[in-house]
Amino acid sequence: MAALRTTRRVVQRARLAAFVERLCARDVCSRSPGEPEVKAAGISKPQFMDKEVQNILGRITGLNLEKVFKPMKQQLKPPQYKLLTDEQLDGARHEAMEVAKERLRMPPVLDEREAICDVLAEDKILAGLETAKYVFTDITYDMPHRERFIVVREPNGVLRKATWDERDRMIQVYFPRDGRRIIPPPIFQDENLLVVFAQERFEDILDLCLVQFEPNSADYIRVHHQTYEYIDKHNKYDLLRSTRHFGGLVWYLSNRMRIDGLLIDMIQRDLMDDAVSVVQLYHMLHPECQSANETNVQQAKGIELIKVFSHTDSKKGSYLELALQVYQEAISSSADQDAQRKEQN
Amino acid sequence: MAAAALAASGWRRLRLQLLQLQLRVAPLVARALLSAGPQWRTRQPIPQPFSTAADQATFDTISRFKERPWEYLESEEYIERYGSQPVWADYRRNHKGAIPPQKTRKTCIRGDKISGNPCPICRDPKIEVDHRNVKLLEQFICSHTGIPYHPTRTGVCMKQFKKLTTAIQDAKDNGLLRFAVPRVEVRLEDYCGSHAAVGKTPPPARVGDEPWYSWYQWQQPPEKEIARIRQMYKPFLKETPTAAAAPSETAGLPK
Repeated sequence: MAALRTTRRVVQRARLAAFVERLCARDVCSRSPGEPEVKAAGISKPQFMDKEVQNILGRITGLNLEKVFKPMKQQLKPPQYKLLTDEQLDGARHEAMEVAKERLRMPPVLDEREAICDVLAEDKILAGLETAKYVFTDITYDMPHRERFIVVREPNGVLRKATWDERDRMIQVYFPRDGRRIIPPPIFQDENLLVVFAQERFEDILDLCLVQFEPNSADYIRVHHQTYEYIDKHNKYDLLRSTRHFGGLVWYLSNRMRIDGLLIDMIQRDLMDDAVSVVQLYHMLHPECQSANETNVQQAKGIELIKVFSHTDSKKGSYLELALQVYQEAISSSADQDAQRKEQN
Repeated sequence: MAAAALAASGWRRLRLQLLQLQLRVAPLVARALLSAGPQWRTRQPIPQPFSTAADQATFDTISRFKERPWEYLESEEYIERYGSQPVWADYRRNHKGAIPPQKTRKTCIRGDKISGNPCPICRDPKIEVDHRNVKLLEQFICSHTGIPYHPTRTGVCMKQFKKLTTAIQDAKDNGLLRFAVPRVEVRLEDYCGSHAAVGKTPPPARVGDEPWYSWYQWQQPPEKEIARIRQMYKPFLKETPTAAAAPSETAGLPK
């Protein structure tokens, strides 16, 4: 097709001119994309896909097998019964844990992709001949979608690269993915999202988002941010615990320095180790904050860490201290009860 | 002997039944024959009050439920008629034999005429299939599997079944109806945007007002070409070649 030939020629010319620039760009992309802010001192900010970060987030997410293997509404089959020895049962449980860990693998958190607005040719001789735009898609089978040329010829003769929305639609038309619709369903519009949030179906909407959009698209990021904001506002953290979206939620809140609600929720559910891990992640992401400096000075660990945080950087410091007090009282009273029982015995 | 007696008694019963039927039918037939003339003369005028509260109430509810059909499912009228069961629970299709035809009728209402034994949705004009009244839609979906029931089970006509399926899909699309989201594996692809197909391609260098293609503008042809064509058409050129060389060239060739 002449349009694709023109595209290739223009692009080849640009390639020869911009060879060095592309090398530099490739270096940037070889690092894991996320929030690539390189600090002046030369220490780069931890990314979402770093091993330490993933370890912390994995530990915080938890592994509630009941929730991970929750029964789903589907075509019913007759139940299967198996007779297992103790060892076989342990092996089956171990396999279930492995499958659950695979299911809890977190989807990537990326920056929003830059809009495409490149004009390749302006053929005024074609202006006014057609009434509709023509979209030319390269449908070579063995080609990654990000290298696929998709160009649009407008009725005024301009040949431009397709925008990201147009690209996604065309790729879905020629290379359909299971469950993905060509035009995104209206559930992702703001008013319908509110209805879904009122029904508390956060996991459902985030899964639908994963099915429909690419992780670096504007809609994906918008829906995720709106979900996290709603959860933070209404303290519904537990609904995402033990799902693959909990890591993303904690990462979002830690980056925006709003981990108070999350910490209070964790302390109230007696997850002190998780709370400490969250504060550690916060210090990793913001090493220059007051709380991090105080911790380094005092060499605090465990509950002390959370106390230091509540005194310094926390926005709901009073609530956090209250929750810590209640927790400590509960521990001490249970310790007293145990001591009394031992004396009686 | 017994068989003959039985047969005889059977015949007697039949005859008795026929006589009874004739007695019942006779006055009807007589009335019909008497009133064979124009119906409007013999019919008595039915005394109707000008407007009652009952009429106003029915008019209000029908128009109200047209705009907000989900309100009908909360009303007393609905609870009295259906209770807590789905609307299709007490409906029974009429068909020959034990196994029903696998397709229900095409539609219950054609124009103004309603068929006999209309389906559970068509028989109640206040029930409206809309993607917003989720309570009604949920009655037609199995609560264990999440799959809509087949029309042979609920008894609805095919037209209403199509409306139901589209309404169920619309409700799921707008987030009003819960459904099980299919699980998609997380693909760890390279989301780099450095390839020329999706990255920045600087436009080709152009100086100011230059046209996109050089041939968009008038270009002076090379002198060799002009000389060659002049040589070719020498016998047809009107002016003398030496006297008016420059002006004639520019005049003849297109601008």
